[in-house]
Amino acid sequence: MEISEQKVVAVIMVGGPTKGTRFRPLSFNTPKPLFPLAGQPMVHHPISACKRISNLAQIFLIGFFEEREFTLYVSSISNELKIPVRYLKEDKPRGSAGGLYYFRNIIMEDNPSHIFLLNCDVCCSFPLTNMLEAHKRYGGMGTVLVSAETANQFGELVADPITKELLHYTEKPETFVSDLINCGLYIFTPDIFTAIQEVSTHREDQANLRHLSTFEALQSPTRAFPLDFVRLDQDILSPFAGKKQLYTYETMDFWEQIKTPGMSLKCSGLYLSQFRFTSPDLLAGGDGTRSALIVGDVYVHPSAKVHPTAKIGPNVSISANVRVGAGARLINCIVLDDVEVQENAVVINSIVGWKSSIGKWSRVQADGDYNAKLGITILGEAVMVEDEVVVINSIVLPSKTLNLSVQDEIIL
Amino acid sequence: MIIERDHLFSESQFRSRQLSLLNSDHPQFHFLGVIKMKALILVGGFGTRLRPLTLSVPKPLVDFANKPMILHQIEALKAIGVTEVVLAINYQPEVMLNFLKEFEKKLGIKITCSQETEPLGTAGPLALARDKLIDGSDEPFFVLNSDVISEYPLNEMISFHKGHGGEASIMVTKVDEPSKYGVVVMEETTGRVERFVEKPKTFVGNKINAGIYLLNPSVLDRIELRPTSIEKEVFPNIAAANKLYAMVLPGFWMDIGQPKDYITGLRFYLDSLRKRSSAELASGSHFIGNVLVDESAVIGDGCLIGPDVAIGPGCVIESGVRLSRCSIMRGVRIKKHACVSNSIIGWHSTVGRWARLENMTILGEDVHLGDEVYSNGGVVLPHKEIKSSILKPEIVM
Repeated sequence: MEISEQKVVAVIMVGGPTKGTRFRPLSFNTPKPLFPLAGQPMVHHPISACKRISNLAQIFLIGFFEEREFTLYVSSISNELKIPVRYLKEDKPRGSAGGLYYFRNIIMEDNPSHIFLLNCDVCCSFPLTNMLEAHKRYGGMGTVLVSAETANQFGELVADPITKELLHYTEKPETFVSDLINCGLYIFTPDIFTAIQEVSTHREDQANLRHLSTFEALQSPTRAFPLDFVRLDQDILSPFAGKKQLYTYETMDFWEQIKTPGMSLKCSGLYLSQFRFTSPDLLAGGDGTRSALIVGDVYVHPSAKVHPTAKIGPNVSISANVRVGAGARLINCIVLDDVEVQENAVVINSIVGWKSSIGKWSRVQADGDYNAKLGITILGEAVMVEDEVVVINSIVLPSKTLNLSVQDEIIL
Repeated sequence: MIIERDHLFSESQFRSRQLSLLNSDHPQFHFLGVIKMKALILVGGFGTRLRPLTLSVPKPLVDFANKPMILHQIEALKAIGVTEVVLAINYQPEVMLNFLKEFEKKLGIKITCSQETEPLGTAGPLALARDKLIDGSDEPFFVLNSDVISEYPLNEMISFHKGHGGEASIMVTKVDEPSKYGVVVMEETTGRVERFVEKPKTFVGNKINAGIYLLNPSVLDRIELRPTSIEKEVFPNIAAANKLYAMVLPGFWMDIGQPKDYITGLRFYLDSLRKRSSAELASGSHFIGNVLVDESAVIGDGCLIGPDVAIGPGCVIESGVRLSRCSIMRGVRIKKHACVSNSIIGWHSTVGRWARLENMTILGEDVHLGDEVYSNGGVVLPHKEIKSSILKPEIVM
């Protein structure tokens, strides 16, 4: 019989500084998990989703960033949500499951019955309550959130259509395996720690028992990893598939991975459109008379000042202390803190970095292909675009001043 | 009064004569005016042209010929008896200040920082550092641009300055394409500056501002504490009063603020070491031309190194490696049979076996190029692994 007061905890993997070079140049000054999407730090979205689960005891953030990068955020979010949020720094790479195992004592402090494991750079609707109900019904060790294949990737897992059991898992297949992909969201019972330990022990036994010839030693795939390096996908999901231990829960909503700045713009838009249903008071409104004309889903930080003759949207996120001048036009962009967009400037399909300045009648734009290398124009921190200059499909590193127009370029 | 090179003495004899005067109680010691002189080095901003190297350290600390760029200037100033150097900076003061503490002790020279809170241009920083530069002694002070390398004939400049009795002296250098720069038009015999012409469309002269100045304290009265250009506002004023004189810089000159010029500058610098018969240059059958190797670097068998190569501390060059016209920073490992030319390899990077790097390939800090990879002008930002070839010049973020 289930005790109804059983607690749950959530663990969010936030990554580390040298791992995310794909997020440059935005990651030079801010850790990727704190980059704002729809006006809130990236990690805030999974955290607020977790808050909706009943009996949530604690939220843990696990990563390789220095503790001080997260101190302020963690203490302010703990206060705001009235729930303990803690940042745990990994001291060396142990793999996605190894890290979880390393902190097991802290995670199990409140004796939770279930543990949510989420990747910070996943953008989705976080159907955590429904997923937990399904997990309890299945009665297995773990449940993986899955999604029917998005256009350009091959699915990695095969699930039984009736029982929803995970039957087969393979990492980054080159041929068609299925149309289901791993969404990077899991629910586990505490048995997961035993399973991870078994993997380490098995590896150790193998190393001890076999007297490998030099040739065999080179061939053995597990030789490359230290004993406590356990990857969730290859070492847990794959071997435990088909053993009535792991199940799948399918989401029909949007799902994206936020790996590049371009994708962060797309995901910011997805969250903004979600606000229309979950928190419409966060979205801006205006008709061009006493405040600027707002089209579609737009977030404007309360401290930002937007001139009434500017037109903003759709899909625009404006951060703190931004000033948008008269006659400016912003479409599909993220404008970060302290930016000044001067009169009659146009910004389309771009991300404008903290403290930058967009000159009068200048134009910062891109094609809007979220997956292309230069499909979204990115201006790093403190970039000055002078009056009337045009910047198209380019990436500009921090502290540059552009006094000439550029197109299809990376400016160091 | 020494304006032209003294033809009776070779470069090295001239220099050693100067140094012996400095180190004695000879009355000429005071004639050279070496008592308690000060200098300002304009360090400025982010060094974006030297990215990706300047993504890891501030520009003045980027190594050139195995020494931080700014150390070349500080040592030249110390050698002629400057007792205090002020660094005018507007970026990463903490990193600079740590460096300074270390070198203040080692060099026995006082080093302070003057930090701009807003960019003040090329003259404003002088006004900002006014209190540090003026001490009532009326001695002229040097101003150096931190991107410049040259032989720093600062004693000759002092003699020139005292000789003409004007308010300010600047070094000028002859270039092939003066229209890319600001040209200094001057009277041939006295060196008195008539005017500055920015990027002239017709030929007005082939001497440009070399970024080395010797100024009387009265110049500071001409500079307001606001963004000001020394070439566009201050010097033209002094020239109009017939008080600005230019001396042609003897020896080599280079602005090494961007990678291509950095490599060219390395060639000039090593060449000047050769001319001075410096013992620092490497010799042996593995070396061609001018090569500088730090004593802690290790070089394997069958390598061919040079010309114009600098190999920094702790580097490991494995056997069968070919290096030419390149700068290898501290802690780099170049694996067997690799071939690197016209490139800069950043701190603690590795270059794989049989890799080939050329045509201004620049690896930032901690970049690892796999075995057999080819890079034609790849510019790679720090902390990356490169496993596939870069066939044409490209920035890898």
